[in-house]
Amino acid sequence: MLRTHAQTAGVSLTAQQPLNNIARVAIQALAAVLGGTNSLHTDAYDEALALPTEESATIALRTQQIIAYETGVTHTIDPLAGSYYVEWLTDEMERQAMEIIEEIRRMGGMVRAIEEGYFLRELAEASYRYQQEVERKERIIVGVNAFTDEIPLKVPIQLVDPEVERVQAERLARVRRERDPKRVEEALKGLRRAAVEGQNTMPHFVECALAYCTLGEMMDVLREVYGTYQEPAYV
Amino acid sequence: MQGVDRRIRVLIAKPGLDGHDRGAKVVARALRDAGMEVIYTGLRQTPEMIVSAAIQEDVDAIGLSILSGAHMHYFREVKRLLEEEGASDILLFGGGIIPDEDVPKLKALGVAAVFGPGTSTQEIVDFLRQAVPERWKAQGLA
Repeated sequence: MLRTHAQTAGVSLTAQQPLNNIARVAIQALAAVLGGTNSLHTDAYDEALALPTEESATIALRTQQIIAYETGVTHTIDPLAGSYYVEWLTDEMERQAMEIIEEIRRMGGMVRAIEEGYFLRELAEASYRYQQEVERKERIIVGVNAFTDEIPLKVPIQLVDPEVERVQAERLARVRRERDPKRVEEALKGLRRAAVEGQNTMPHFVECALAYCTLGEMMDVLREVYGTYQEPAYV
Repeated sequence: MQGVDRRIRVLIAKPGLDGHDRGAKVVARALRDAGMEVIYTGLRQTPEMIVSAAIQEDVDAIGLSILSGAHMHYFREVKRLLEEEGASDILLFGGGIIPDEDVPKLKALGVAAVFGPGTSTQEIVDFLRQAVPERWKAQGLA
């Protein structure tokens, strides 16, 4: 069985008139449920501005609950079955997806396509096209290029207290002080060996965690062994 | 070449761990379509990497794209390093998710312009076409 997770589109969230995003998220979430998704993430309305507040995250959850318990959309497995237009759209999407898969095959496969920057290029092309459509008003985004407000509506946003950084730095310093440095060294050495030899690294990560190695220390080992990914600079 | 038809060179940079590069790339592309020479740094750059690239590439302006909330820190650092390297004549501007309250603070640091959501790419093109030649003139280059 094909199991799917759906997330509402972050790119559709607008910084302008942010409360409109509640409506956008609800419509997209409903579409995902109508499509039979097994798992669903709804964005918070303020995610174009900052990390969600407690309130905006709760509204995102409530949106799912309203769809689940108030709309009746869950009473049937496939509420849109038999809709000529939806079936046509599904076929069309499938046809276009197969075209792209074929194109990747012709390029020599997925890894090759990543290395050649195919995906980055396609993404950049699509976002540039989108931006031009918005600027020319060929694509209407409510509150952005139409129905805009004279005085922008402000919503409370989550501000991260700089104190958090200090507290975390202190906790980290304490962990480093109190752990067994010998065990840390051995654990990291084990991880490095496994990475170099192409062995299973998972038991070594577990040992590293038990020895209180930091995530940074573990990743430094992998960076040293494998190097880091540098995206092809395509604009 | 230092004539009037000199092309504007711009570095578009993403400092820090913020991976949201859609806007940076759209701006880079728009500036290039407007006839400028654009270098895009890619993700996860340190202020040192950005300033060093800007000097090496001999750019007229640096555009920082920051959506992580760390804008005060990164603009301050880039400005400080530019001064340290004797390259404070490079125009610094930026955009992303930057609260209105912070814009005057950034301007006070020497950030020439801050472009928020809803800015058209043409506004950024117009800004550079005006601000960069002004600097050339001031430096006796154009």
